[in-house]
Amino acid sequence: MTESPTALLEARGLSKDYGDTRALDSLDLAIAPGEVYCLLGPNGAGKTTTINLFLGFVAPSAGRALVAGLDVSTHDRETKRLLAYIPEQVMLYRNLSGLENLEYFAALGGQGSLGRKRLTEILVEAGLERETVGRRVSAYSKGMRQKVGIAIAIAKEADALLLDEPTSGLDPKASNEFSALVERLRERGVAVLMATHDLFRAKDTGTRVGIMRYGRLVTELSTAEIGHADLERIYLEHMQADTQANGGSP
Amino acid sequence: MIRHIARKEFTDVMRDGRFRWSSILVGALLLVSLAHGWDQTRKARQEHAAAQATAREHWDTQGEKNPHSAAHYGIYAFKPRLALSFVDEGVDPYTGTSVWLEAHRQNDFLLRPAQDATAAQRIGALTAAQVLQHLLPLLIILLTFAAFAGERERGTLRQLLATGVGRRELATGKALGIAGALSLLLAPAALVGAAALVVANPGPAASPLARAAVLAGVYLAYFTAFLALSLAVSAWARSARTALVVLLTVWVVNGLVAPRVAVDLSKRLHPTPSALEFARTVEQEMAASVEGISRPDRDESTRRLLAEYGVESVEDLPINAVGVYLQESEEFGNRIFDRNYGALWDAFERQGVVHETLAVAAPLLAVRTLSMGLAGTDVEQHRHFASAAETYRRDLMRRMNGDMTENSLTGDFTYTVGAEVWEAVPSLQYAAPTLGWVLGNRGLSLAVLGAWLVGAILAAAVRVRRAEVG
Repeated sequence: MTESPTALLEARGLSKDYGDTRALDSLDLAIAPGEVYCLLGPNGAGKTTTINLFLGFVAPSAGRALVAGLDVSTHDRETKRLLAYIPEQVMLYRNLSGLENLEYFAALGGQGSLGRKRLTEILVEAGLERETVGRRVSAYSKGMRQKVGIAIAIAKEADALLLDEPTSGLDPKASNEFSALVERLRERGVAVLMATHDLFRAKDTGTRVGIMRYGRLVTELSTAEIGHADLERIYLEHMQADTQANGGSP
Repeated sequence: MIRHIARKEFTDVMRDGRFRWSSILVGALLLVSLAHGWDQTRKARQEHAAAQATAREHWDTQGEKNPHSAAHYGIYAFKPRLALSFVDEGVDPYTGTSVWLEAHRQNDFLLRPAQDATAAQRIGALTAAQVLQHLLPLLIILLTFAAFAGERERGTLRQLLATGVGRRELATGKALGIAGALSLLLAPAALVGAAALVVANPGPAASPLARAAVLAGVYLAYFTAFLALSLAVSAWARSARTALVVLLTVWVVNGLVAPRVAVDLSKRLHPTPSALEFARTVEQEMAASVEGISRPDRDESTRRLLAEYGVESVEDLPINAVGVYLQESEEFGNRIFDRNYGALWDAFERQGVVHETLAVAAPLLAVRTLSMGLAGTDVEQHRHFASAAETYRRDLMRRMNGDMTENSLTGDFTYTVGAEVWEAVPSLQYAAPTLGWVLGNRGLSLAVLGAWLVGAILAAAVRVRRAEVG
């Protein structure tokens, strides 16, 4: 694990049990500003649990989740002010337009003073076509909703971004646009933690990749030091090793 | 923060076609029921005024006759419709609004619309109070059941809470947004109601505007309790469907089951005789003395008068002994009436206490009691008027028998009087109870409604704080 004294997102021995099941096992992780950390792993590996712990949606069974050095368990409001979150499916209010949705979420995120003009610019920056921002989101595609989700994150001007399978279900063009946006946020110094199944996107977007299995972080790689094929091979090796260790069933 | 949430919730609700149509329907029903109630009250007042004038004219122009005959001729008294009775007609359709005041009898009230109503009329007679007590809570449930459960199901709750907004702020904003949408529905009805109060003769109620203000406060507390309860259930339920089913069950128990149970239980705990049984009992007791209340003995009465005046025969008495005896008979009857009607009214009041107590399980029972009380149409105010009318009747009988006693001699069957005596009888001047009197009687309902309000808000606070993100 890479230690970072300036980590914006940090997990220290972070564990979470659901009954007898250990969903996350002693995770140690540190993500600095301007870093995109991609958590790879199959379903049930603990990726979403990690994000939920950083969001304070569940309490840790052991360890601590820290945002800018503040413990999420004891500084719920303060840490959330520093975070933006984009889920796998950005869900919006169907009776409101994209702009109204952004206006609402931005206001709740402490950016209530942003005018409609600026919010429209943010939506356009996120990739939404200008003529669609006033339409009710009931007519939006998933890709358009994801872009509103990105706009919400941009508008919040958060220091850290939590992404949970954000490109799942997006077409390649939308996925590329999404990656470009994440890259722009990274350049602005935002620390990004992205849970994903997409090896290609992880290599392409991330600065570091962590592979998770059964709640454990089994390896960590720098994307600058490996190619797409290497990442795929390492990932499959870990999956296969775990399958064998578990008697042939993943 | 709360302002933003409330504004978004308001916009969301207003753009929801289901809310638009249901609120138009409920709003229209409320306005129609208010207008109908106001029209009914206006007509009833006109009819009562006309009938009262006619009854008085008949009394004044009944011609020359013996005063006791005039006492038998009698006069009608009409229970005045208070200003707010157009909102809640209460028990008036069942208890009646006019009574014939005559010698020797305490008659039942007449003019009971429920008696003459067809089954269809009974079902169709929707009052503003019924709309407020039944349909508004249903609308609140439909607007609120998904407040948390629906957000959780859709996934928006995660995104909302990730912004850093607190659950309590979210709940408060949602409650205010929904309340804002409901206020658009209620504002026209409130304006119509206020205009009707201002335009209409306020009637003999003390402080009609104060009564209206308290009535508005009662309904506001009721709606707030339902809103908070709906938020609590929505925060607790795993799905919006579960929240809706639970809340509709609450609505059914509150509006349909509890009132029925209250009626049956109160009658079982404090049984009251049927009208026929009651009349028969009074008749039997009037025919024969009961313990502690003896029927006057005419001979004994005469002997006492002879001794009092120091004369030996009734012909020597300076007063009419028959008049004295008639008044003694009247007072005997009064004691029988007091005994029977007192027990009956007390049983009704004890039944009312059962209703008020059961309000701990269904706030509607408290609201209904308070609503009728403030509108002046509950059993207690019916009793208040009935007592005033009975006091007037007794005074009238005393005047008539007194005139006969003082101005004629025993055996003088030709004694008659005319218009000057009839016109000297004052009309019934009824002062309806004050707001303090009403609230004093309804302390239990106020306390239970207050407990519901506080309890629902606390439940919402607790459940919202523990609401799972999903």
